Amino acid sequence: MEERVPTVYLVDDDPDVLAAIGRLIESEGLQVAAFASAQRFLDGFDRRAPGCLVLDLAMPGINGLELQRSLEQEGSLLPIIFLTGRGDIATSVQAMKHGAVDFLTKPVDDTALLAAVHDALAANRAHHRADRERAHIAQALASLTARERQVLEGIAAGRLNKQIAAELGTSEKTIKFHRGNLMRKMGARVAADLVKLAERAGVGSTPAN
Amino acid sequence: MGNWVEIVWIGMCAVSLALGAIHLFVWFKQRTGYFHLLFFALAVSATAFGAFELALMHEWAPERYADILRWAHVPLALWVLSMIGFVHFYFGAGRSWLAWAASGFRLAGLALNFVTGVNVNFLAVSSLEPVAFWGGAVVAGPVGVVNPWAIVPQIGNLILLMFVIDAAITLWRRGGSDARRRAVVVGGSLVACVAAVAGFAALITIGLVHAPTIVMPGVFVIVLAMGYELGWDMIAAAQLATQLRASEQRFRAVVEAVPSAILVIDDRGLISLANQQAETVFGYPRAELIRQPVELLIPERFHGRLSAWRTEWATGPHAQSIAPGRDRVGRRKNGVEFPAEVMLSPLQTEKGPFILASVVDVTERRRLEQATARQRDELAHLSRVALLGELSGSLAHELNQPLTAILSNAQAAQRFLAQSPPRTDKLAEILTDIVKANHRAGSVIVRLRSMLRKEESKRLVLNLNHVVEESLRLLRSDLLARHVTVQSDLAERLPSIEGDRNQLQQVLLNLLMNGCDAMEGQATDRCLTVRTQQTGQATVEVTVSDRGLGIPVADLDRVFDPFVTTKAQGLGLGLTICRSIVEAHGGRLWATNPAQGGATLHCELPATPG
Repeated sequence: MEERVPTVYLVDDDPDVLAAIGRLIESEGLQVAAFASAQRFLDGFDRRAPGCLVLDLAMPGINGLELQRSLEQEGSLLPIIFLTGRGDIATSVQAMKHGAVDFLTKPVDDTALLAAVHDALAANRAHHRADRERAHIAQALASLTARERQVLEGIAAGRLNKQIAAELGTSEKTIKFHRGNLMRKMGARVAADLVKLAERAGVGSTPAN
Repeated sequence: MGNWVEIVWIGMCAVSLALGAIHLFVWFKQRTGYFHLLFFALAVSATAFGAFELALMHEWAPERYADILRWAHVPLALWVLSMIGFVHFYFGAGRSWLAWAASGFRLAGLALNFVTGVNVNFLAVSSLEPVAFWGGAVVAGPVGVVNPWAIVPQIGNLILLMFVIDAAITLWRRGGSDARRRAVVVGGSLVACVAAVAGFAALITIGLVHAPTIVMPGVFVIVLAMGYELGWDMIAAAQLATQLRASEQRFRAVVEAVPSAILVIDDRGLISLANQQAETVFGYPRAELIRQPVELLIPERFHGRLSAWRTEWATGPHAQSIAPGRDRVGRRKNGVEFPAEVMLSPLQTEKGPFILASVVDVTERRRLEQATARQRDELAHLSRVALLGELSGSLAHELNQPLTAILSNAQAAQRFLAQSPPRTDKLAEILTDIVKANHRAGSVIVRLRSMLRKEESKRLVLNLNHVVEESLRLLRSDLLARHVTVQSDLAERLPSIEGDRNQLQQVLLNLLMNGCDAMEGQATDRCLTVRTQQTGQATVEVTVSDRGLGIPVADLDRVFDPFVTTKAQGLGLGLTICRSIVEAHGGRLWATNPAQGGATLHCELPATPG
């Protein structure tokens, strides 16, 4: 699946700062979308697109923390880098608790900001990838037969083919056959992959359905 | 014969003569008092007439009697004329035409007296018969043919009677105890005596009564009445003079006692009176002040204005409009100038218009005022520094924003240039933005420095809206951090004010921050309303309203007292200093609790004229 170009969203009520930070991020070859207020951002940003948010803390109307809360409620994956003129500890702790990836103070050095942006984008990318993977596994799991699923649970529990066969009251050969199908359907090359996938899909540890 | 008639008549003559002499003497001393001369004529003619009448009473030869009677008419006519003149001119009573008519008939009678008969009373005196008075006195009474022309002086007497009745009524109507007394004394004696004398003379003349001519007592009573009046007036004048002297002494005592320099200046600008304090203030002994031009006490550069002003004052009678001057300058003998407060009041006197100038040397007061102002400025400065300390976060933010823009712009430019090939298309706008941000930071620093600088208060023409906007800008980040929104409602056309920008901004910042503090405890509705408006012909007002709990009514004025504070931190001097700043600007600062809740601080300032 092809990855979309990420967007760095900027929200700051100060137009001078907004333009300058925007340019700095553009100089890195990144795509920038700048908004003068949290409300405009909420109205205008693409919720499915990958990217990150560089957010001013103190703004009239909806402030930075309020916007973070609002995105959290939406279930947004957008990593947030806070940029603030006067960062007090209480505010930064609160921001970090709610999942901010970074908390930078103005004036911000380019390397620090860009590194944070890159980290955030990477995290976002990873998030998106994990998401996609989870979807993939769920799809594969859905395609399994009841017997194949029982076999997978046995594998995930670390049992040998013989033990699984005995448990299910069938021959070891049959289990090997199911196992082959499982490997193909789940896209695993070796048994270890299968275990990992089963773990990731939550098979074995928690009752799956 | 040696009887009492002789004594009485001689006595009357003597008294009349004495009275006349007294008033002649008075007239000599006081040439303007023509009444005294008139009275002298009255009294002397009465004396002369009395002498003639006494002679008549002792004359037993008819021809001689007729002659004496003829000549007796001369002083009598003079007496009548003097009396008419006296009544008319001195008392201002009696109609003119009656006066003229009575005088005319009397003069006509006098003329007829010499051209008809033996006198105007008789064509001929045939005999003289002894008439017995009371007490055994015997005098001559004439018997003869009545002169028909006697009607003329008798008509004259009738008119004279009308004249004196009219005069008495006039005096009575004039009211006032003094005029009433005069009406009774003068009018009563005049009417009674003229009626008696004229009637008696008529009766004798037409022969109904056989009696000697006894006119003198009436004439004498009138002389006495007039003399009494004139004397009374002289006494009153003397009393008045005494009072005047006393009052002048009091005036002088008061003038000497007042703590300000008093100068009385005549219409030519010469000093005619100066008090002790004037000597002290100006350093001249009194002798060097009197009859000197007032310019002596005023620095040369004001002389032009003074003379222009004096011309204006002299030509127009707007004496009341002489405005007191707070900021006048005086000059002492040693040439040292001093600030003076001058009060001028016009004095209208018989000798022409004068100006009473009261001059207070306000050097010491000015010095105190300046010291107070300096202290106020210093306190304001200290409080401003403290205020800026409280605002340091906000101010740092205001500086931080442009610095952030500058840094990021510059680093973006470096990165664009580091690319290969270097990107230069953005450089122009980046540099423009850097310059802009730099100016922005610069202006914050300038503002800050000006508020921190300790300097004397400087009055400039300001727009109150600008002061409000600038204060809001300085507070912007603080307001954001405290979640306070501001609604500003600034009047578009606001008259300008004159004031110290830093101090007024300090007031605004204080009011805004107090408003924020008032809403600190509440989770929502943190909103400040700032409003400017013109409140009067010459006043503008800025109000700051919060939506807090309001100020307890008992504290509405107390919040301006020093060390009254509701805050854990803070000295409670903020509003005290604000009020002293506003009052030093000629304005008012007060608090109200509006009906919709919260508190409103009102700051009213005078608008610059024009």
